[in-house]
Amino acid sequence: MESKYNKTRRDFLKEMSAASLAAAAVSIPGVSFLSSCDSPAKMAASADTVILLWMAGGMAHTETFDPKAYIPYSKGIESKKVLSTFPKVPTIVDDLYFSEGLEDIGSVMDKGAIIRSYKSGDLGHILHTRHQYHWHTCYEPPQTVQAPHIGAWIAKELGPANPVIPPFISIGQRFTVGEADELKAFHSAGFLGSEYGPFLIPDPSSGLESVRPPKGMSLKRFEARYKLYKELASKNETLGKGSDYQRESLSRSMEQSYRLLNSPESKVFDLSQESKEVYDSYNTGRFGLGCLLAKRLAQNGGRFISVSTEYEPFLGWDTHENGHLRAKKMKQYIDRPIANLIRDLDQSGHLDKTLIILASEFSRDAILEGRPGEKVKDQVNQPDVIEDEKFYGMHRHFTDGSSILMWGGGIKKGLVYGKTADERPCSSIENTVVIDQVHQSIYHALGIHPETNYKIEGRPFYTTPDGHGEAILDLFT
Amino acid sequence: MDSIFQILGRLHPLMVHFPIGLLIIALVFEIFTLKGKRKSLRDGITLLVYFGTAAAICSSIFGYILNVNEAYGGELVLQHQKLGIATSILSSITALLIYFSAKNNYEKLLWYRIMLLLTVVSVSITGHLGASLTHGENYIFESLGEDDENYDLEKLSATLAELNGLDSLSESQQENLNLDVRAILAHNCYQCHSEYKMKGELALDSKEAVFKGGESGKVIVSGLPNESELYKRITLPSNHKDVMPKKGKTLKKSEIELIQLWITHGAYWSDRAVKVFDEAPLALSKPNLPAERKESHPVDKIMGQYFEENNITWPEVIDDRAFIRRTYLDLLGLLPSPEEVAEFISDTRPAKREQLIEELLLDQKNYTEHWLSFWNDLLRNDYSGPGFITGGRKQITDWLYASLMDNKSYDQMMKELVNPSKESEGFIKGIQWRGVVNASQRTEMQAAQNIGQSLMGVNVKCASCHNSFVINVTLKQAYGFASIFADTLMELNRCDKPTGVLSKVSFLYGELGSVDAPTVDERLELLSEVMVKPENGRLYRTFTNRIWKILLGRGIVEPVDEMDNPPWNEDLLDWLASDFIDSGTDIKHLLRTIMTSKTYQLKASKYKSQEELKIGTYVFNGPVMRRMSAEQFSDGISQVISPMFYGVAYDPNDEGLSARRIWHREIKFDRDVLPEPGKRYFRHQFELSNKEIISARALISVDHSFVLYINGQRIAEGQDWRKVHKVDVLEYVKPGKNLIAIEATNEGNLANPAGVLFAMKIENEAEHLIEANTSWISTDQVPNPSWTSIDYDAKDWKNVKNYGSNNWDKLLDFKFEEDYNTFTRASLVKQHPFLKALGRPSRENVATSRESQATLLQALELTNGEFLSATLEEGAEKWLDEYGEDAELIVEQLFQKVLSRSPTASEKKTMLNALGDQPNKESIQDLFWTILMLPEFQFIS
Repeated sequence: MESKYNKTRRDFLKEMSAASLAAAAVSIPGVSFLSSCDSPAKMAASADTVILLWMAGGMAHTETFDPKAYIPYSKGIESKKVLSTFPKVPTIVDDLYFSEGLEDIGSVMDKGAIIRSYKSGDLGHILHTRHQYHWHTCYEPPQTVQAPHIGAWIAKELGPANPVIPPFISIGQRFTVGEADELKAFHSAGFLGSEYGPFLIPDPSSGLESVRPPKGMSLKRFEARYKLYKELASKNETLGKGSDYQRESLSRSMEQSYRLLNSPESKVFDLSQESKEVYDSYNTGRFGLGCLLAKRLAQNGGRFISVSTEYEPFLGWDTHENGHLRAKKMKQYIDRPIANLIRDLDQSGHLDKTLIILASEFSRDAILEGRPGEKVKDQVNQPDVIEDEKFYGMHRHFTDGSSILMWGGGIKKGLVYGKTADERPCSSIENTVVIDQVHQSIYHALGIHPETNYKIEGRPFYTTPDGHGEAILDLFT
Repeated sequence: MDSIFQILGRLHPLMVHFPIGLLIIALVFEIFTLKGKRKSLRDGITLLVYFGTAAAICSSIFGYILNVNEAYGGELVLQHQKLGIATSILSSITALLIYFSAKNNYEKLLWYRIMLLLTVVSVSITGHLGASLTHGENYIFESLGEDDENYDLEKLSATLAELNGLDSLSESQQENLNLDVRAILAHNCYQCHSEYKMKGELALDSKEAVFKGGESGKVIVSGLPNESELYKRITLPSNHKDVMPKKGKTLKKSEIELIQLWITHGAYWSDRAVKVFDEAPLALSKPNLPAERKESHPVDKIMGQYFEENNITWPEVIDDRAFIRRTYLDLLGLLPSPEEVAEFISDTRPAKREQLIEELLLDQKNYTEHWLSFWNDLLRNDYSGPGFITGGRKQITDWLYASLMDNKSYDQMMKELVNPSKESEGFIKGIQWRGVVNASQRTEMQAAQNIGQSLMGVNVKCASCHNSFVINVTLKQAYGFASIFADTLMELNRCDKPTGVLSKVSFLYGELGSVDAPTVDERLELLSEVMVKPENGRLYRTFTNRIWKILLGRGIVEPVDEMDNPPWNEDLLDWLASDFIDSGTDIKHLLRTIMTSKTYQLKASKYKSQEELKIGTYVFNGPVMRRMSAEQFSDGISQVISPMFYGVAYDPNDEGLSARRIWHREIKFDRDVLPEPGKRYFRHQFELSNKEIISARALISVDHSFVLYINGQRIAEGQDWRKVHKVDVLEYVKPGKNLIAIEATNEGNLANPAGVLFAMKIENEAEHLIEANTSWISTDQVPNPSWTSIDYDAKDWKNVKNYGSNNWDKLLDFKFEEDYNTFTRASLVKQHPFLKALGRPSRENVATSRESQATLLQALELTNGEFLSATLEEGAEKWLDEYGEDAELIVEQLFQKVLSRSPTASEKKTMLNALGDQPNKESIQDLFWTILMLPEFQFIS
């Protein structure tokens, strides 16, 4: 693979120190001074860490962060009248209203921004995992080569922020649910190589198990075992003397892994280190604890962390019926822990350098499947007249007008970007945002060049298709 | 104002030569003054350093202005800038040291000399980076065989030498000149100026477009280069904003001159298609073997000559122990047993190596179950993955397994893949996700791409969007190829935009014969015939090269999917491929031919970095050391320690019993969901006649654990769902009504798959089979203790749900017959996190090379992964049972089984020390782990 634009400052220093110690000695203190001379669009990072809060299954914008006219339930109302099934509530930002049940997140909106005009890809007949693949990789499947997850790109370009914390951690998604194979397809580093793939922690409360010696093995035994391995490996002469790249890479990776598993930093993964009070304040379930783990990781050198409400067909945000009731529960599930996460990182001073994003693969609507003009095959039966509360809510997949929330990492505070119509179809009508822009904005915050690409099978493969899409600079301070 | 800055900025390239020159001369003079000589130079050096410093500072300032004004970008600029400033600072310090020292005494200052030296180092690097910016970087690419400008510059120079100075050109000279010019355009201009991407509304890839010009009018004035915009642009200074191909990258002198010559001679345009990129010949002829060589094996004769030409003496051949391991792993994917190794080593027959190869080639089952992985990767055939969910994908394992068992000839396999039966159609069928896909990913196009990549070693992927920039395949050709598989006319889409042009059916290599016919079936038949023709040398070279890579670690051509790249030994590749055809494309013949050569049996050669394997630098010195594949590694552990897998996703001898599992139906929001952890209770009642019962046997396996009752009696329990418990229940069943009751537990913290697998065979006057199915009932409420008895009233219980077999591999041992000594080959199991970590690809795309580099995630899986850890623990118990506490025996056996040798005295001492006086489960388990992590085990050397 040939790489372009992917040298980091670290690499630069490393190379230079090899080339000329003196030059490096001069240029190290010079770095900050020199980069401030750069034109603003160049490679300056406003964030070191990214947390993606993934609302899996399609979160309706009209029921959450972009409320429309509230139509309370009554037997016999028409489906087409239903725009929002919750009243709206004020947030800390003037003139910004959320749907009832999101008061806590509303109270931290003075620290972040909301995009109200995300338009997902038009991929035809809906398959959640295909839209999720598109959101996470920026490419529509299938592709001729396996596309990397955005977390893998970031892991590849920036490496770990703390050498013993894997740079791409995915929390909360199991792979034993429906569409598991499709989920696996994008939880992957693709052609970048498994080295940059996700470190999976389906259950945040057992995250520690992934980073400590095997179950039932004492630290002493673990250390002795590694010592034995080193000793035996050093005695081994069957492969002959002299070094080769294969053995070097093997022994390097074994050592790294030993260091990680034996490191005091593995405590970062241990939620029991938190006070009961804090633990309980996050604990709305697995997602809440995922936010708590994300907080700990962000404070200790995590690079890219995703926390998912988890996709399981017809569950979570994938409301095919009982939409109102289920949206209410989902809001209880996410509201407090997300607000805690923002507040805690702000208080510990990490929010400035941590970009937090909340997003979903698409939105929902009571009537429309697909989007206006691109209507696709209905997957949910929705009666014209609602006689049963079960049909009250957003049950169809709507691919326009989703909300994306962002905090920290150089994002403007209190900003509302884009707008959706107040009447159905509640599509984006101002500053429509597409996935390439979202990715480029994240890369922009991290100082990753917009045209970062690798050559694979003779073609350049960019972070966003053909390197298109520009960061939305208006989002940043 | 701006223009003043612009001028200043553009002075930078001029200015920079001063500090470089002045400071270097200062250093040279300084060297002359060493040991107190030539004091007269002192004043000159002072001035040189002062002026040099001033020039360095000016250069930095001008450079900064240039960058701001002309918006250079990229890391290289940043580095250049930093170093430029560093140079200014360093030289300023040097100048200040001179200025503040007592009159001309500064030569005594060691610090001054060091600073001057550093200044020169710094200015040199800055200059080099600057030159890279101006003249283009020449990065050494990470991977094999990436070289953008692999077209023949020498040929251009030759053309130039031939034509320069001639008054008029012959027609053939005009033809050549034009084709050369078009090659230059293709390599340097098409990326921005082609029908695909027309910057400035200009395209340079067709006659019409070139002479039509772009937004600023015509670009070629025939006969007058100096009035032709195209020529003007390519001759601008390299940092000019209008220079072409682009700022910082200009054409080479010979290229510019050739274009000038072409315009001068009237800008003739040939009608011939231009083969822009080097292309491997299609035809194949068997090269003569080098005469009069002492080597006996044909491959060795060719390699003997190669070694001679490269001044290499024949490297050393591996010993018997290494040979038997290598051969076992390569042919069967298994480790030889200690007995087999001992027998082979003591065998004195001179041809024992050939005989071993022959013997192993006859082990069809193990051969098949090893090579299956290679073919699955190549044909991206898998047991799970995206596409299956909506019927958009089909497996070909039955066909593949049978083909390998029969050693079906390669050409026959190819025919059956391209013109498939129901069993083999999965390959060209592709993967269809639900919804609308990009035009370049229609399944017909996938068929063209996959046949191209896997079978022909040609990349059709680029060209399925636009004319390829790296090989001679056009959009039209890609669509022509894809149309063979399409039952309707295909419209060409360029980068997913319709063009209005309809495709015409054709194969990439039209010279092999027509594939046009009215129906898809007829076309597929034609294609299958055309593809396997011996004239299609490409098909056979591609496969031969893949096999060479598998066996020797690096292809004769790399990357193995890009067969237009040059081979490091053309005769070797062509001889092997021709010999393969001569054998009737017998795959085992090809393996035998390579493996019986001395060349295959050489010691692995050491390469310090992968750079040494690149095209151009690579020299064959012996095989490249290979890492065991995920499958070889797992199978090795299964063989000597304890089975890693018990169930298969693909069962070659698909037999009777159903692998369906049942569980309590769990509902949330009216939906069936994954079972929550906890205990569930199952009942099933059945009735037998009054006849005497002759035999009764039950099979049970529960994810995660169970207690089995029959007619109220506790009979068996188990913790490991990967194992089948086989229980004789004759004394518990009785004529009349019977009741099976199972208390089953789903473990874990989260909802996760759980299931009961059960079968019972009862023989009285007839044979009865009772299997778990949806007539069984269950509850999640703790029942009254009498629930296991037949009289218990289970009216609140509900019918169970059938969870199928998808979440569990099929347990091979789930049968009434006893079957000792089996373990499941890793090639037959579904993608597993352990296998994935060790490099088994997810087969959504063709992946013909496994990653060879070890990674952290992999090491983590090996170091603390629960899966491996549990297997080793289980193995330790077995070993403890078998060898007791005899530490010496354990160590000896371990080395023999895992490494095929005895431990050295020192190794033995270390291991015994670790085992302690009384080996226990833990110490044995740690010994296992240690030896499995050794490079000696993990690499095929």
